[in-house]
Amino acid sequence: MKIRRQTLSPYLDWAKFFLVLGLGGYLIIRGSAQVGYSWHWRSIPGYLLTYNDGHLQTGPLLDGLLVTLEITLYSLFVSAGIGLATALLRLSGSRVGRWLAMVYLESIRNTPLLVQIFFLYFVMAPILDIDRFSTAVLALSLFEGAYASEIFRAGIVAVPTGQWEASHALGLNRFDTYRAVILPQALSRIVPPLTSQAVSLVKDSALVSTIAVYDLTMQGRTIIAETFLTFEVWFTVAAIYLVLALILSFAADQTKRYFRTA
Amino acid sequence: MIERLFVNDDIPPIITASHVCKTFPGPVVALDDFSLHVDRGEVLVIIGPSGSGKSTFLRCLNGLEEIDGGRIVVDGIVLDSNEKNRLEIIREVGMVFQAFNLFPHLTVRKNVDLAQRLVRKKKRADAAAFSLRLLERVGLSDKADNYPHELSGGQQQRVAIARALAMMPKVMLFDEATSALDPEMIGEVLDVMRGLADDGMTMVVVTHEMGFAREVGDRIVFMESGHVVETGQGEDFFLHPRHRRTREFLRQIL
Repeated sequence: MKIRRQTLSPYLDWAKFFLVLGLGGYLIIRGSAQVGYSWHWRSIPGYLLTYNDGHLQTGPLLDGLLVTLEITLYSLFVSAGIGLATALLRLSGSRVGRWLAMVYLESIRNTPLLVQIFFLYFVMAPILDIDRFSTAVLALSLFEGAYASEIFRAGIVAVPTGQWEASHALGLNRFDTYRAVILPQALSRIVPPLTSQAVSLVKDSALVSTIAVYDLTMQGRTIIAETFLTFEVWFTVAAIYLVLALILSFAADQTKRYFRTA
Repeated sequence: MIERLFVNDDIPPIITASHVCKTFPGPVVALDDFSLHVDRGEVLVIIGPSGSGKSTFLRCLNGLEEIDGGRIVVDGIVLDSNEKNRLEIIREVGMVFQAFNLFPHLTVRKNVDLAQRLVRKKKRADAAAFSLRLLERVGLSDKADNYPHELSGGQQQRVAIARALAMMPKVMLFDEATSALDPEMIGEVLDVMRGLADDGMTMVVVTHEMGFAREVGDRIVFMESGHVVETGQGEDFFLHPRHRRTREFLRQIL
């Protein structure tokens, strides 16, 4: 019974998916006809890739995608670092450390990301003299780091206390205990949600277009300002984000599966 | 420099606990003005009903629990807030837990290697060679490259003993080392412990295995609600318990 359901359901799911997709497409085409929008899909591929003088050249949308990927990748590593450091501070014996971590977490979680980006860009960046791209990475890392710290903390806390006690009884110091005993065991609980976090990071990175970082969103806005191809460009930009997010979700699922079997 | 205090020129006890108090939030009094010493080369067996403070006493000896009052001296070193003293004591005291607490992500040999490498700063090859000798001693050299979950409970506990021995401790603490084991596996662990006792290792054993206590224990301590009720020499303790509570406990358990 259960097996039959499992073999049948993917086809059923896909059928439902295409049905909804078709319905949505129909509504959009009908709606756009009513507002009198004339579609110009033909010029869109040129914004992705162009063929000049015998070699391929990336268009502005692909350039933007690369910037988005770059920002995401850097932010992922920096936010993981911030997250780990914050989690360790929260779990430390130091009252000041715990207090510092709480101040950071509360101020990040309780202010909008957009305001954080503006604050860093207009207030901190001139003071610290950091460029636009670094500001974007810093803002996203600080934001995602707050959530990553919860992932790290949960992963660390889930390791049984017996592991701490055995390490203590053997004379391991705190650093070695974390490095050799606790973190390797917490890894299986940390990596899958952290990969999922990359999906949020990709989506949130669109907000850095507000400080004129030429990511995918910013490139889309620029093209629209020049060409008025509003519908086509936003459809394309959204589709690129969708594909990217789906790939990362798939990767997150794979890591989950990997750690479950390992 | 670590200061060791020795009271006189006789061979002093390796562990002296005097007037130790330990209260858990609740408040639950686990140790109440508790005094006990352990001589070098002695096998001291602590028995008593659950909640009597046996395990808490062991855990205080290697700093897993902080004592609220009194004094613990291990091999002449006072166990206090001095970090160096604490570390030195932890290194001299090995502990075996009821739940084994092996490191599941490391192979058996690496479990035994770990503290040698990180705490004793031994070279990889030296640590590995010593680990294999210890595993041979507990009869598990053929399992060196297996992971803990591939072993039976009895085998895991024997690895845990080898892991504690790798630090070359002067005292071994056994906290109900056989309580989590299936009956058919208790014997193999007790055999290893018996072997250690025969080799002259100083041991403090909290156990419910009265047969083992009787046979291997040099001195038996009966504890109840944080006190020592009665102390006796091995066989004699079981044959002629003096205290009424001891007699009741022994009647229940034997």
